[in-house]
Amino acid sequence: MTSPLVMQPVFMLGPVAITMPVLVTWAIMLLAGGGAAWATRGLSLAPSRLQAILELLVGAIDGQVGDTMQVDPAPYRALIGTIFVYVLAANWSSMIPGVEPPTAHLETDAALALIVFAATVIYGIARRGLFGYLRTFAEPSWVMIPLNIIEQLTRTFSLMVRLFGNVMSGMFIIAIVLTLAGLLVPIPLMALDLLTGAVQAYIFAVLATVFIGAAVGERRKPSPDRKRDTP
Amino acid sequence: MRIDWWTLGLQTVNILVLVWILARFLFRPVAAIVAARQAEAARLLASAQAARDEAGAARAAAAAEAARQAASRGETLKAAEAEAEARKQTLLAAGQAEVARLREAAEVDIAAVRRHMEDLAGDRASRLAVDIAGKLFARLPEDARIAGFIPGLAAALAGLPEAARTAIGQDGPVPLTAARALTPAEAEACRAAVSGALGRAAEIAIQVDPALIAGLEIDTPHAAARNSFRADLARIAAALARAEAAP
Repeated sequence: MTSPLVMQPVFMLGPVAITMPVLVTWAIMLLAGGGAAWATRGLSLAPSRLQAILELLVGAIDGQVGDTMQVDPAPYRALIGTIFVYVLAANWSSMIPGVEPPTAHLETDAALALIVFAATVIYGIARRGLFGYLRTFAEPSWVMIPLNIIEQLTRTFSLMVRLFGNVMSGMFIIAIVLTLAGLLVPIPLMALDLLTGAVQAYIFAVLATVFIGAAVGERRKPSPDRKRDTP
Repeated sequence: MRIDWWTLGLQTVNILVLVWILARFLFRPVAAIVAARQAEAARLLASAQAARDEAGAARAAAAAEAARQAASRGETLKAAEAEAEARKQTLLAAGQAEVARLREAAEVDIAAVRRHMEDLAGDRASRLAVDIAGKLFARLPEDARIAGFIPGLAAALAGLPEAARTAIGQDGPVPLTAARALTPAEAEACRAAVSGALGRAAEIAIQVDPALIAGLEIDTPHAAARNSFRADLARIAAALARAEAAP
């Protein structure tokens, strides 16, 4: 019996093995990109219902980033928003029969964690400069340099493992219950898995915001014209 | 458990591409339309505020204009009343002056008419007196109209100053005007009376003027002696006029 943690390639693209998480991610990219292009093709000052929902999503992301980082959310909106949308879509993809959520595999979570780690370093250097960013590792004292470096690595690792563990465990529990009980028994667990997936997406996005905010390090009031309750 | 590095790399690339896709097709357009709506709302609010400020300014200006007009209306009424009073006084004074002028002119006209009437009455009375006198003398003998006046003429000459009497007759015959043609005897009597009055012999040149009615008159550039009814009537008329003119 093969381990459920071991992925089998769906097909080979030359030397590259295309696995199920990659295929599902491509499908999510296709749906999200196409849906976004379709939904934003006719934006107007008088919003439709769909446009109001999109503005509500963007406003919520801006509000969360602004509240957490205390800076203008525009430079971070795309990254944080995409992480939230992708993790949510990936987690909820388990509701489709026969589809394994990409986030239930360590490679996808590691990719997300690596992107957050790289974004932390890039935004920190861009905002503080190279030496300014490196100097943050010596705060509050140079004695803390090893610990701060370890913290950078471990929090990235914890980010990865947290998402992987929650999604993978939920998927395993549903599979086990489905094996042991009847057809309708896993339904409450699946509903709980929906909630868990949304919470994990939110937690992952918020933690990414916190990490980037700590690297940027600036604390200033958001611009007055930014409406937190903007739809 | 092992890591599939191909999957890790592909997923990293996939997520980065998804970041670009959603930024291009979702977050940027939606954020732009939200910003555009906020800008439009701010513009509308500013426009509304400007319109409200403008309306407030117009309302304040209207109130100020109303107050100014109310104040100026009182002043205008006072000025109009003063002007009307001044014009009334001017018209009254002009009317009074015109009335005085008309009355003065009327008085002048009345006086002129009165004088004219008096002149007419005097002329009529003179003519009437001459007619009466003529008719009365027509009843007397013809010689009474001359002989009775010769002594009076001599007395009148004698009453003249010496210088005047000396000058009379120096330039030629003494002009003697009679009421009718003199008879030779009457002419001689007249010449004798004139010579006697002048104290020297004098010639006379007789002229006839029926207007004298009766009597004789000597009229020279140096002196005049009148003893005729016409002269008497003229003196009487003058005396009557002076008596009427006296208050």
